[in-house]
Amino acid sequence: MPSLKDIKTQINSVGSTKKITSAMKMVAASKLRRSQEKAEAARPYSSRLEEMLSSLASSAVSGEGIIKLLTGTGNDQNYIVVPVSADRGLCGGFNSSINRETFKLVKSLEGDGKKVQLIPVGKKSRDFFNRVMKDQILDTFVDLNVSSSGYESALNISNKLQELYFGGKFDKCILVFNKFKSAISQEVTEQQLIPLDVSNSENDEEKENSSNAIYDYEPDEETILKDLLPKNVSTQIFKVLLESDAGEQGARMAAMDNATRNAGEMIDSLTLKYNRTRQAFITKELIEIISGAESI
Amino acid sequence: MATISFDLVSPENLVFNDNVGSIIVPGKDGDIGVLPGHSKVMSSLRPGRVMVYSEDNNLVKSFFVSAGFVEINPEKCILLAESVNEMNDLDKTTIENEIRNLESENSDSVNYKLYVARKKIEALESTFYKKFT
Repeated sequence: MPSLKDIKTQINSVGSTKKITSAMKMVAASKLRRSQEKAEAARPYSSRLEEMLSSLASSAVSGEGIIKLLTGTGNDQNYIVVPVSADRGLCGGFNSSINRETFKLVKSLEGDGKKVQLIPVGKKSRDFFNRVMKDQILDTFVDLNVSSSGYESALNISNKLQELYFGGKFDKCILVFNKFKSAISQEVTEQQLIPLDVSNSENDEEKENSSNAIYDYEPDEETILKDLLPKNVSTQIFKVLLESDAGEQGARMAAMDNATRNAGEMIDSLTLKYNRTRQAFITKELIEIISGAESI
Repeated sequence: MATISFDLVSPENLVFNDNVGSIIVPGKDGDIGVLPGHSKVMSSLRPGRVMVYSEDNNLVKSFFVSAGFVEINPEKCILLAESVNEMNDLDKTTIENEIRNLESENSDSVNYKLYVARKKIEALESTFYKKFT
């Protein structure tokens, strides 16, 4: 049976853990609001860029150079998977679900006979894939701090990807990230980044097609498309980074809320145990005194 | 006079969104004046000034955009800019300092920054669009 002192120490240590987790929850909550605002502010740009692109995409014929970002290389052999995780832990299943889904995706692609390489973004996925598939890692991006450095960080990744793509290093690029659904729920999402996937908005495309015919292009469609496509890649990455950042804060807030509640429960049960033990000691001592007095 | 809805969007946020009288945007092949009912045009942009005028032809706001795209249809003008500065926020001496710092280096990305900075000076000095009649 633990002594009274042991229980007291335990209660104290759980109490200080509780203080830390509740402070982390507050921090995450305030950061969440900021990242959420950022993610929402970035939405108009990416959605309008997508609109423009889908109205242009229909006019694209297969071609060389930058147009390949849209039409693809014609091959389907080499894949790059980009898992986007957080740099820090203590946010529930946020990082592990990314790593798990990415791992599954890689295995299933390999099962189909494809060659897969990885560019992990964020320390947590870098560390994970460094352990399990070290030889497949092409490059890593960590310490992005998307909420402070903004668009630049997305540009770096996008430039690297395009350099690899035009160097013929891969045919398809898939992003795996946590989509921000609400403050307490994130959804692991796979998005094909290169070549651009315009097929998911079929209805929109039809609509755009009909209006497309009347647009004038200046200088001309191809030049615009050539400017637009690389920009779209970095914008998509930027959007994903912001979503993931907001999701991370949300996940951390939920995880820390849980931890705080659990610590509270633990303190309650420990206090109960402490009081019972104390009572048992008192009773024991009383019995000893009484039986001592009787024997005289 | 009718109005046209104008959105100026940068990757980080929505900079401007209102109904205005007319807009002048720096298209790649030359400036484009946009009035309500403009035909459908899609254009890429060069670095330069975006001028926003109210219905009675007073200058409401002017921005500097480094690059981007514009989509125009009769009711709406959407400008996607890579980076946006309000003209009033640009300070000539700071930019000139920036140019001096950049000139010491030489790489593709620096050259582009230099080009944009020079265009900023150019835009600051130009008085061409001050009045709109």
